[in-house]
Amino acid sequence: MSVNKERFNQISPSEFFYRNRDLAGFSNPTRSLYTAVREFVENSLDACDQAGILPEVRLEIKAVDPDKQDPRTYILSVRDNGPGVATEHVPLAFGTVLYGSKFGLKQARGMFGLGATMAILYGQITTNKPVSVSSSVNGRVQDNFQILLDIQKNKPVILKHDTTKTRRRGLAVSISLEGDYSKAGAKIRDYVYQTSLITPYASITFLDPKGNSYQYDRIIKSMPAPPTIINPHPHGVDVETIRRMVLESQPAMPAPDQAAVRTLLTALRLKDESAGYDVVIPRAKERWKRLKDGHKLLVSLVSVLECGLMDLAHTRIEEIDVLGKKVHYYDLKSAKTKTVRMDESKPYYSHLARLVSGETLQSFLTKRFQRVGRQTADRFAKFAGFLPEQRMGALTNQDMVRLSDSLQTYGEFLSPDPSCLAPLGPDPLERGMKKFFEPDFLSVVQRRASAYSGFPFVVEMGVAYGGNIQNRGIKVYRFANRIPLLYDEGSDVVLKVINEMDWSRYKVKSDAPLVIASHICSTRIPYKTVGKENVADRTEIERELRLAMQHLARKLSSYMSRRGKAEAAKKRANLYAKYLPLVSQFCTELAGRGTEPKYARILKEEGVG
Amino acid sequence: MARKKSSAARNQKDILGLLKKHGARIYDDLDRGRFPHFEIPSRSVSNIVYDTELRQYILGNSAALRSSKNTSQLRSFTQLMWLAFFANRLTQEKKSSTLRDVYYSSQAFTIDFDDQSESDNIIVDLEAVLAKPREHFHIFPEERSSVFGDLNIEYTVPGYEGKRMNLSNHPDGYAIGPSLTSAELLDTSAELVIAIEKGGLFTRFVEEQVDKKFKAIIVDTGGQAPRSTRTLLKRLHTELSLPVVILTDGDVYGEHIAMVIKSGSANAAHLRELTVPDAKWVGVWASDIERYDLPTIPMTDSDVKRCRDLQKDPRYSHGIWKKELDVFLKIKRKAELEAFSKYGLTNITDKYLPHKIELARSL
Repeated sequence: MSVNKERFNQISPSEFFYRNRDLAGFSNPTRSLYTAVREFVENSLDACDQAGILPEVRLEIKAVDPDKQDPRTYILSVRDNGPGVATEHVPLAFGTVLYGSKFGLKQARGMFGLGATMAILYGQITTNKPVSVSSSVNGRVQDNFQILLDIQKNKPVILKHDTTKTRRRGLAVSISLEGDYSKAGAKIRDYVYQTSLITPYASITFLDPKGNSYQYDRIIKSMPAPPTIINPHPHGVDVETIRRMVLESQPAMPAPDQAAVRTLLTALRLKDESAGYDVVIPRAKERWKRLKDGHKLLVSLVSVLECGLMDLAHTRIEEIDVLGKKVHYYDLKSAKTKTVRMDESKPYYSHLARLVSGETLQSFLTKRFQRVGRQTADRFAKFAGFLPEQRMGALTNQDMVRLSDSLQTYGEFLSPDPSCLAPLGPDPLERGMKKFFEPDFLSVVQRRASAYSGFPFVVEMGVAYGGNIQNRGIKVYRFANRIPLLYDEGSDVVLKVINEMDWSRYKVKSDAPLVIASHICSTRIPYKTVGKENVADRTEIERELRLAMQHLARKLSSYMSRRGKAEAAKKRANLYAKYLPLVSQFCTELAGRGTEPKYARILKEEGVG
Repeated sequence: MARKKSSAARNQKDILGLLKKHGARIYDDLDRGRFPHFEIPSRSVSNIVYDTELRQYILGNSAALRSSKNTSQLRSFTQLMWLAFFANRLTQEKKSSTLRDVYYSSQAFTIDFDDQSESDNIIVDLEAVLAKPREHFHIFPEERSSVFGDLNIEYTVPGYEGKRMNLSNHPDGYAIGPSLTSAELLDTSAELVIAIEKGGLFTRFVEEQVDKKFKAIIVDTGGQAPRSTRTLLKRLHTELSLPVVILTDGDVYGEHIAMVIKSGSANAAHLRELTVPDAKWVGVWASDIERYDLPTIPMTDSDVKRCRDLQKDPRYSHGIWKKELDVFLKIKRKAELEAFSKYGLTNITDKYLPHKIELARSL
């Protein structure tokens, strides 16, 4: 028999991403440059948002050797005025993959802060240069690092670290990377332009390799309300999540050490450390109401194990199986796992059992999910076929699945709490669009929060017409979580909704100078592809988009009819102004009169100015 | 000498008076702060009726209002106004113009016609408003018909005023253009007008001295007679009291050429000065084809269709008009004027014409 051994190697996350960099958008020099810009700019904006700082972001792309042809090496630098990164976190944050600060349930631009490290990794691969990071959290001193990434070990290698004085708080990151600006330029400029539109409270400067400067100043001086981290919505969890939530709800297994035992002794007003079962239980009965929860737990363990206090200090409880009425524990003295049957008649048995079985279903639902009150919890329990008092620790696997299915299908839950979302708000959106397009007509709407599969989302939309808008036909700007979506426009749900509108009903011609900006905020945007450039047509999202669109279209329509009437009147006036003088001239000669008739009165009545 | 005022001068005075009347009306409207308008007799099919008394098509009572207040009519109102103004100048200065000319002249006044058919329509509008043919306000068709015979005329066009001419001086005949149309018809020795459809036969008639042999003025209509030719025929008939006979090809189109000279066309139903109700069509009739044993060609489908269309026209519901249509439809053949050449080049003038003129006198 031949030996054909396969070698199983564990690879580091760095190596995994290195091998799969296409997935993260680093497939070629054009795409990579664009993706790197996005990742750094979005990181800066996210950091500022979270710290409640009005962002100032400066992006610069410089060719190392301007005489070389694309693709060539560029230096990409992004500097912000954000909170900075504490000294001790810098090497890990910029020198390892999968180290980030974005793992809660709330809306943010990026998911885990992966992209920036991917960009650093890509830069290192293509140019073999370290990343430079300067960070100041206080605006007085600044840490300057040069870091390389050890791909195999997923560890930072610090090449240089010093501290200098500064007067500027914030983070500056600079990498060199292989890129193709001649091809990526248009997209990057679009990206910066559209990002400024959806982030009107930020100042963004972009210096391109040709020496052009694109400056977008802050339009509003107030930040939109920051999102809060909140409990999940019942519709938004699956079986696995529920299992994890149940586990988290269980109290920690007591690990009674000597110190814990001594505090219990004090609480029981006992001095003898060897006090046995017979002493402890009666004393505990006397002082029960004054005992803390932890002490009550220890007392009930003494009771069911029928042991002395010090014995408890040598015991590590492994599992308390309420259904099987057994306690498994590890005895430190004999170094063996032992099992004891629990006797229901023992004092404090029911206390222990209740404690271990965890909280009731009612309490589980109200405490750990958003927008579930006691009444809702009780009605849901009935719907799902549970008692509200059902202990979570006593749920079997089938129960778990039934609970999960019921949470998905129960129709009476309130819609998800949108406080974890950070929509831009109608006013900032309106002011942003006003500044950008200086339109004749502008209307924005923020729909109330809705949810798809338990993920809350909010749709914001704005429509601008005429004025400085140069395009003929509808130009759509799509945003998701304040990120512009630039690619794959055709298959996007927003486009679908817009294209399905019967615009002629709203008096909008096909060549109308119209801009529509659509912003979808959600804790999870249902992207169609890994590229994250187009949103899938979930029924709920499509519905909200359509309602928003119709609302705005109706406003636009009434504006168009007002405008139409005014235009018609103007057109009439123009026609009179053009033709009546001719008529007057001709009839004067025909009638053989010396002076023209006094037709000015007619012109005045018809509003010819 | 107390000469009767010439017809050209009368026409000029009429037109100028009409134009002034409309101009004054519009002037007054404007002066009083009102939007002026024109009432234009409707030329739609439903408003064209056959008047048995006048023996021609006329317009009924319905009229369209063209108001300067209505912005969709303002442009064409102004165009019509301009044309009245332009016609006034033409008539006063005795300058002649053509349809094409009018189209280009408009551009000097920022009156933009999209194309000539738009300006042609406005010209017909003005004819309808004034109930006068455009020749009266000096807009003439291209010349393609001619006249020959012992007829003295006196020109009225500027530069030729008072100059006289005898229309038998030139054997090719005289083109019926603006100067001839507006000339005074002084006197003639002729007793008859022969209108003939074809230039070739016109030349033959001149060569064979038909004018002398039959004491006739010969008019070449050049196919369907232009309006200036019809006007001349009418004047010859009314001013000089000459009977008019018409000679056409022996087919349905020839028959209709004769009918238009006699009683006008639906296109000109708004005008009363273009018809010679007493004119007589003397041939070539369908029945002549057999009688004179003429070489024929078969009628086409469109000839047959034209026959059937004309049968619905009230003017073809009786007499020779109905009878000949029926014969055409029966024999399904037609013959041209030149068919007589089978029997010699002068057969038509020597044999056929005398017969027919004799016949006409008896009709």
